[in-house]
Amino acid sequence: MKRTTANSFSNKIVILILALIVLTYLLFITLPILAVFLRINPSQVNGQLHNAQIIEAIKLSLYTSGIATLIALCLTVPTAYFMATRKFPGKAIVDTLIDLPIVMPPAVAGVALLYAFAPRGLLGPILNRLGLIIPGGTIAVILAQIFVASPFVLRSAKAGFENLDKDIINSAKILSGSRLRVFFTISLPLSARVIISGVMLTWARAMGEFGATLMFAGNLPGLTQTMPLAIYSLMNSDPLAGVMLSTVLIVISFTILIVIKLLEQKSFGAKK
Amino acid sequence: MIKVESITKSFGEKKVIQNLNLEVKKNEIVTLLGPNGVGKTTLLNILSGLTRADDGNIYINDVLVNGKAGTKQVCLKPSERKVGYVFQTISLFPHMRIRDNVAYGLKSLHLPKQEVKKRTDTLLDFVGLREYAKFYPHQLSGGQKQRTALARSLATEPQVLLLDEPVSALDPQLRESFRLELKNYLQALKITVVYVTHNLSEAFIMSDRIAVMGNGRIEQIGSRTEIFDKPSSKYVAKFLGINAFKGKAVKIHGGLLEIEVNNVQLLAPSAPDLVGKNVIVTIKPENIVVSKSADLNFNSASCNSIEGTITEMVQMRSTAQVTVDAGFPLKTRLPLSSIKNLGINVGDKVYLCFNADALNVFADNSSE
Repeated sequence: MKRTTANSFSNKIVILILALIVLTYLLFITLPILAVFLRINPSQVNGQLHNAQIIEAIKLSLYTSGIATLIALCLTVPTAYFMATRKFPGKAIVDTLIDLPIVMPPAVAGVALLYAFAPRGLLGPILNRLGLIIPGGTIAVILAQIFVASPFVLRSAKAGFENLDKDIINSAKILSGSRLRVFFTISLPLSARVIISGVMLTWARAMGEFGATLMFAGNLPGLTQTMPLAIYSLMNSDPLAGVMLSTVLIVISFTILIVIKLLEQKSFGAKK
Repeated sequence: MIKVESITKSFGEKKVIQNLNLEVKKNEIVTLLGPNGVGKTTLLNILSGLTRADDGNIYINDVLVNGKAGTKQVCLKPSERKVGYVFQTISLFPHMRIRDNVAYGLKSLHLPKQEVKKRTDTLLDFVGLREYAKFYPHQLSGGQKQRTALARSLATEPQVLLLDEPVSALDPQLRESFRLELKNYLQALKITVVYVTHNLSEAFIMSDRIAVMGNGRIEQIGSRTEIFDKPSSKYVAKFLGINAFKGKAVKIHGGLLEIEVNNVQLLAPSAPDLVGKNVIVTIKPENIVVSKSADLNFNSASCNSIEGTITEMVQMRSTAQVTVDAGFPLKTRLPLSSIKNLGINVGDKVYLCFNADALNVFADNSSE
């Protein structure tokens, strides 16, 4: 009897400690977000909505991150399918390599891109001959975003294809001679939800990209100044505008996460 | 018709199929029977083209689908082999309606839309699912899903149908009825079928012939009676739940073969070529009569009557498996009513009687 009471007491203590830890962590995450929202002065919001720098930055971010996500999707889905369905020598190395941008510091990514695409970089001579100067332009922003954000959709798509029920795919292979048809009618639709959540993550990451863009593309309003770069600049010149733009990014990120959660709730055809 | 010649398949170090030969006649239903892990599904996958054999040749309706034609290596794609495959996991396309599942193969044949619809309707009628055409797989019962899978596999009019434990994914209550249903479908179809199961009664219901598999080989192939009455190895006998024990063929006596098993003399049908050899003796449990007294009314000279002690009684639904130590363990199966009438229990002394004809004897070639 005594032992049961002691157990129940220690269980309550454990739950209490756990609750405190969770609460501390939640506060740590939400407090800064709350702090940003509390800095907004509603009477000045309308004026900020017509701030040319903010509008330019939002437009550029939507444009570049949209194109970057689209290109990333086109490049990564076939790569993910290949990686998920094929065995080849050195696969582990390739697997590690394609994950590298996730762990690479964005500034390093910017330096790497610079040394690859700058006029004196690895591909410089070829690009020069084609008359293309990439660093310092909008293309550089897109390339930086693809480099940094594409592994998210790649990883999701790869996991989606790997988790497909093999018997379902084999049934389709027996019934249809075309691999392409099996891919487009079975593999892709059954992995769609996972891929879409990867796309959303990639888009969010591309929107928030800062370090690589700054190093590789620079911080030129209207040309390479995306939202994060504009926030950085505005915090020195017009903090209220910086805060406004920050809230926009927070809302976008939050919405994306909710969409991902909704998509993850239901998934067809995965392995049981 | 299917002809498999000396195929082998290894996964890494593990040999899953070893020098396997098999012939399935046109419109015949052959069941691959064996415990898990003996290569049954691998063989189906090789036949379907999902897995490539390392060696050997496979012909489907006299067309080489996997193997060597002269110096040329042939391995037709699954869709080129004219096979239908029903998987153990049912594996319908979850994002497609039942109609689209069934029509999937037809659509890849580039047939006119009307033809696809007509054929799909015929198949849905055949499996009794026309009214469920607009449903999604998750809205169907296990049996309906499996019928859809069958219809889908038949859509491309395959010459061979491969069924991998199609009943095992169903609820136990459904299995019995679906087996009979499936048997009716297969009989109506008149198609060459290779059916995989580890379930004895399923194999007996479904098959024209049974191929018992063990260690990546066909251990024995034959009709239900051949397999059950004359298992050709100790492995087959044991898998079928038939008594199998080692002995020595001593002599021919009174037109019967006298065998010694652990100092117990048994009489079996005459087989002069076995005299002096180590042999394996098999007998079906249901061919053994149990009595509490020695003077049973077996007035034939060919009757074996041996004494033993009951060591185990395992009760099932309407029968019990009784194990008797008669110098070697012998299993027999008795109705529960007989056990009650006999009043027998574990530890009791009993007499086991069986005719010489009930024994199946063959040379023991094992090195054990």
